[in-house]
Amino acid sequence: MKRLLRGVEKLSRLLALHRLYRLVHDKDTPEARGRNLLREWLSAEQRRQFDAFGYFDVIGSISGKQYRIHFGMSANVQELGNDGRPRMGWCFVPSGDLVPADVMLAQKIALETSEAEALVVAKRFPAAIPGMRGHLDRPFWSRV
Amino acid sequence: MAMQIVMDTTGDTRHHFDPNDAEAVAKAERRFRKLTGAGFIAAERTSAGQSRRVTSFNPSAEETLFFPRLVGG
Repeated sequence: MKRLLRGVEKLSRLLALHRLYRLVHDKDTPEARGRNLLREWLSAEQRRQFDAFGYFDVIGSISGKQYRIHFGMSANVQELGNDGRPRMGWCFVPSGDLVPADVMLAQKIALETSEAEALVVAKRFPAAIPGMRGHLDRPFWSRV
Repeated sequence: MAMQIVMDTTGDTRHHFDPNDAEAVAKAERRFRKLTGAGFIAAERTSAGQSRRVTSFNPSAEETLFFPRLVGG
């Protein structure tokens, strides 16, 4: 049984490495192109956050509130309180079939340049959805 | 060279044009009008990590990004 478990662990590590290799080396996939575009448009601090954790923070253009945009395609924006903890979730996305990094870039630009317009169409959701917070808090690379 | 970047299912499509070439600029302006007319949102990159929304074509913009209109998720 222990040997079987060790084998499964080894296989899962190999699969994770394979996924990471593909992410780094497949430069011409839609996902890689989207990620490159996003990184080009992020500030140095946002890029550092994104590379380390898979999310980055933006400041709303009207309210000055802080939002955290997580890697994802929906229900991935959290409004943070003064204590840095999530207060509320906001769901708004560009229409159409885009890769996650493109969705995140559109959300960043919307919040930083026209926050009110974005929030008018957005749907609210509780900041802490059971089973979601843990997922969002894990580093980006461990979730790929 | 100036660039218009359009988000799409391939990640993005990039259109380069010479801002000193009148014909290329006219083509870029037509693309701008077509995309924004179809509901795309346009933003110019102003500095590292900073951008601003634009509603009219700016031939001197180095990089303009277009993404589809936002909807509630």
